[in-house]
Amino acid sequence: MIERSELEDILGPRVDEAPLGIVVGGSLSSGLQIKIDPRFSMEKLAVGRYVVIRGRQTSRRFFGIVTDIALDATNPDLVRRPPDLSEDFVLEVYSSEVAIGTLNVSLMLMLDEEQSEPRPVKTIPSHFSPTYEASAQDVECVFGEEDETHFYVGTPLDMEQVQVNIDLARFVERSSGVFGKSGTGKSFITRTVLTGIIKSGLAATLIFDMHNDYGWAVKDETGREFKGLRQLFPDGRVSVVTLDEDTSRARGSKIDRVLKIGYEQIEPEDVEMLSGLLGLSDVQTGALYYLRRTLGPSWIAKLLEIEKADEELQNLIESGRIVAGTLGAIQRKFEFFHRMGFLVPGRGDDAVEDIFLRLSNGTNVVLEFGNYGNTMAAYILVANYLTRRIHGRYVRQKNLASGGKADEPKPLVIVIEEAHKFLDPKIASHTIFGVIARELRKYNVTLLIVDQRPSGIDDEVMSQIGTRVTCLLDNEADIRAVFSGVSGASTLREVLARLDTRQQALILGHAVPMPVVIRTRDYDQSFYAAIGVTDESNLDDRAKMGIDSLYGE
Amino acid sequence: MEEVHAMIGRVTRCSIRGFVGAVRLPEPDLPSFGAFCKAEAQQGHSQVIGLIYDISIEDDEFARQMATAESLSPEQFSDHQYNRQVPVEFSALAIGYQRDDQFHYNLPPQPPLTLAPIRALTPAERMAFTQRLDFIPLILSAPNLPVDDLLTAALRQAAQDRSGGERRRFLLQAGRECARLLDRDLSRLHVVVRGLAE
Repeated sequence: MIERSELEDILGPRVDEAPLGIVVGGSLSSGLQIKIDPRFSMEKLAVGRYVVIRGRQTSRRFFGIVTDIALDATNPDLVRRPPDLSEDFVLEVYSSEVAIGTLNVSLMLMLDEEQSEPRPVKTIPSHFSPTYEASAQDVECVFGEEDETHFYVGTPLDMEQVQVNIDLARFVERSSGVFGKSGTGKSFITRTVLTGIIKSGLAATLIFDMHNDYGWAVKDETGREFKGLRQLFPDGRVSVVTLDEDTSRARGSKIDRVLKIGYEQIEPEDVEMLSGLLGLSDVQTGALYYLRRTLGPSWIAKLLEIEKADEELQNLIESGRIVAGTLGAIQRKFEFFHRMGFLVPGRGDDAVEDIFLRLSNGTNVVLEFGNYGNTMAAYILVANYLTRRIHGRYVRQKNLASGGKADEPKPLVIVIEEAHKFLDPKIASHTIFGVIARELRKYNVTLLIVDQRPSGIDDEVMSQIGTRVTCLLDNEADIRAVFSGVSGASTLREVLARLDTRQQALILGHAVPMPVVIRTRDYDQSFYAAIGVTDESNLDDRAKMGIDSLYGE
Repeated sequence: MEEVHAMIGRVTRCSIRGFVGAVRLPEPDLPSFGAFCKAEAQQGHSQVIGLIYDISIEDDEFARQMATAESLSPEQFSDHQYNRQVPVEFSALAIGYQRDDQFHYNLPPQPPLTLAPIRALTPAERMAFTQRLDFIPLILSAPNLPVDDLLTAALRQAAQDRSGGERRRFLLQAGRECARLLDRDLSRLHVVVRGLAE
């Protein structure tokens, strides 16, 4: 007989006291096997659901997630000799004793009687411990309440009354990732999480908005329009910087500045990441550094023949330090710069300093790429260019802060899309993004990578990702990549592979106490209202009321 | 009103595993295969519960001779069948015992003594005894008996005492208990469970 636990006074009475099943085997690493009580319909169970196991030997409660559901038989011959479908009685008898259902449950947390906070699981419940479907109170107890640092991102499957709140402080503390096939709602959930970060003010964000998804209004495939971050926070907490003023204006986007990069501001390191896309060979890439050194800051202008340098180039070839073919190839490939309207001759302006200042003041910056978002090379060039310089400033300020000569820099989250282009195993070790991912929060800069091909990201980088928000992935390599570096998470594969294509995500890692499959929060009027955004028509009404009260009707 | 215990015979041989009873003339329904019966033991302190698994009639010289006769008159026939010299014997398997108004589902501490009266269980007693199905293993473990048929017959009889939904619940519960005990032998299990189906 299992004694009534005092925990019930905390967690409230159970909705249904009958256990779902009992523990019959398994291990901490591979998950527990639960024999389903025949009174429960296994067809109503689903992977991703939570269960609570009451330890038989202690008052501990173990929280687990259903990772697999299986059919089993006490006699293996049953597979070859099933009863006839017309024999109802026989079928009913067999399906409760001989043919049984089992669950595989991956244990996540345990709650001791004397503690109110669940802790990571370090042991397993004993044989025959009763297993229950987790009640709303159980799940609420794990995910806590929404507050300044905990943001509501969705509800567990089949528990619409329960909120899953992610710990934003932990989310920004380490690099994070949002993964999923295209069309599974990555941008929506990213925007939701970013809204939470901006609202909490825990970190500033620099968003490289490749597809113009974050800054201003965005439409889904059905034509419905959703507010961008600049609209959700019209009080100046979000600045929109654009590379393509014309497109941004055409979209009606409110922009705070236009980014122009001077040729003289570009360094070989900025171009090196483009070598794959531009087709620069190793020799040509190596030559860039030599050209920069010998041609000076205006090396690109000289190579593009915007600035006259025939003689200098001729001298280089004659000195034998570079062959004419290599130089010619570089010049041809650099023609790409001509097409990038945001690149201007000369020294450019103080955009980097301006963006850095905005970020250090806690202002979030969305960098809209406009039409340049379709050019991967432009995205990589700009993201790399800005990130290198802003990271450099953060490093400097952090070092000054360590010496007591400056304030601690505001934590920064850099959001990059198509992250596998920056974090490819071949280049991740020496790109700024690889460096940021690996150095964790040392300099208060972390990444939020948004990607549909996590398998293309360097393993070492993936293992440093603290929180993973994963929409549907069905490629085996991608699924494997998402779980790399997460102990015991491989049992969640089935859960991930069976997410719905829309509005469902698996969140695991640093920012949640245990992995959770959520139906993501609706990004609609109710969300805007919860954030505190008033509808524009209401704003007009309020303005009119203000005018009336000032001047009389 | 107290239910009448029908006496169906007296003990002639017995052991811990069961007892054999004899009756001069069987009633139309008693004893019958799979019927629950009880016999007094321990000087009336306990009642051994048995399940009738065999009913036999030994031959005698007179019957053998008469069987060879060309024809028998109705009088001769009745005289031989009803004025019997050799009793009808029935064998019961011990499946539990009752002591101090409590049923116990294991072998009795002592067998009944010879000539102890053997009575059929009343429907109420049957119902009470079969509230628990712990007697099934004792049936299944009996050697050299038609245990599968015996089990089916006994459970069906116990089911008869219940009505409607309760009967079905009882049969399902009994079926599950059999499945739990016989899951290693699907052929046997199938015969038993099919025998329980209404």
